[in-house]
Amino acid sequence: MRFLLPWFIACLLLLSPAAHAELVLVTSPQSGIERLTQDEVVNIYLGRYRRLASGLAAEPLDHPIDSEVRARFYRRLVGKSLAEINAYWARLVFSGKTKPPQAVANAEGLLRIVATQPGTLAYVERSQADARVKIVFEFGD
Amino acid sequence: MGKFILSLLLAGFAVGAARAETGAAESSLTLRGFGTLGLARSSSDHAEFVRDLSQLVGIKGGQWSGRIDSVLGLQANWEATPEIELVGQMVSRLHYDRSHNPELMWAFAKWEPDPRLTFRGGRIGADFMMLADSRLVGYSYLTVRPPTDFFGPLFFSHFDGADVSGTLPLGGGLVRGKLFAGKTQEKSAGTLGVWDTSGSPVGGLVLDYVTGPWNVRLNSARIRFAADMNVSALTTLLRANGGDAAADSLLTEGRTSRYLSLGVVYDHGPLLLQGMLNRIRHDSAAFQDSRTGYLLAAYRVGSVTPFIGVSRWKSQPHENLPVVVPGWLDEEYQRFVAGSKIDRTTYSLGARWDFRHHMALKFQLDAVRASPDTAFSFANVQPAWNGKTNVLTLTLDFVF
Repeated sequence: MRFLLPWFIACLLLLSPAAHAELVLVTSPQSGIERLTQDEVVNIYLGRYRRLASGLAAEPLDHPIDSEVRARFYRRLVGKSLAEINAYWARLVFSGKTKPPQAVANAEGLLRIVATQPGTLAYVERSQADARVKIVFEFGD
Repeated sequence: MGKFILSLLLAGFAVGAARAETGAAESSLTLRGFGTLGLARSSSDHAEFVRDLSQLVGIKGGQWSGRIDSVLGLQANWEATPEIELVGQMVSRLHYDRSHNPELMWAFAKWEPDPRLTFRGGRIGADFMMLADSRLVGYSYLTVRPPTDFFGPLFFSHFDGADVSGTLPLGGGLVRGKLFAGKTQEKSAGTLGVWDTSGSPVGGLVLDYVTGPWNVRLNSARIRFAADMNVSALTTLLRANGGDAAADSLLTEGRTSRYLSLGVVYDHGPLLLQGMLNRIRHDSAAFQDSRTGYLLAAYRVGSVTPFIGVSRWKSQPHENLPVVVPGWLDEEYQRFVAGSKIDRTTYSLGARWDFRHHMALKFQLDAVRASPDTAFSFANVQPAWNGKTNVLTLTLDFVF
């Protein structure tokens, strides 16, 4: 039975709040910005206003449509379900107005793009934000 | 102009597709679509319920029909450069001529030199809705159709022309302004037959303020009609009897109609509240002026969003209309100008169920309560019409 213990602890850890670490928004250190307010993040991710204070165009990136991280991000940001976010984008896309954030397969892919393309932004778990990128927004600010 | 734009776009898409195949990173072609499979039934036998004034036939007599709400649309976006995009949209829906022939809804080039500024030229959407340019993408809104009492009179969905919009941060929110001008390319139909309003100049201004969960919108637009309706039977009679002023009052060519609306949306977490008011004024006595408004409240519970709404559409007769001397002719004239009288209220109850990604099922019950002499805004009205009908609608809305 002893060999089951580590598995049991691992499962407990996965279920604990710590496994749902806080999401942070990152960008390239070359984007020329220090912080974003929650309203600014909402404007960028909902396509209302995509310009950074540094003058660069803001290009938000998303996780895949089925991902739990994506659902958590929008629920935390605007209190909306993914179905509501999808309907919102249908409104804008079929108005020929603006584009939804581009989806990238995983956190490493997101970090690679963000690190090399100033102006791009992505949300990742805090533990995934490494030295290549800069945290510009944390929930609870 | 429409054909010219279409061929231009097709050429653009052909080039775009070719480039997309070669994998050129600097341009991209996206094809998307949307649709609604709608089934609706209206309880009254004596008038047909229509979605808006562009529909010559509607639903009645408790028979299920898919004609008024079913829509299929395809859209292609070609991003030529990060600043320039070409957009084309074809839509099949119920037309003034009872057909579902595909129609070129949009075909425009968009230039965005800066995230704050956008220019568009070509065939573009008429921006009447609170949250979108198109009223046809059912998936993008909550109700089965935009409230008929409010949007019924706005049968224009696009125009050929240009618009420019700008966005600026202000006081913690965003101000968006848009100016548009162009010419309409649409027809409508009614008891007088088809009314071709193609070539009528339109123009207007939209102002938005968005802050947190609030969105306030002011919209002002005007149209100067390029053609008269088919009223010559009555105007000839009026002129033959010295009623030139009365005959002139019925003309629409060169006459202006003005639209003004104010809308407020509160959208926070699961709660959505929406209200709009509009006023339409017509220079021509062929249409009565009108005021409309609606309120909608919804609260999402999981993947289901129940909603309730109320809407009202009421017209006001023109004052100081000329008096025609032979009494019987004056009666004819008065009967004609009263033909566009509207006094109706709708109480709505429904729910939207987002059962999977990019698909939603909706049901809605509308209790339409109009005065018995409200014939305009319904189709094929019979003398026994009492102004009351209950409309039950089921839709499957999707985007792909």
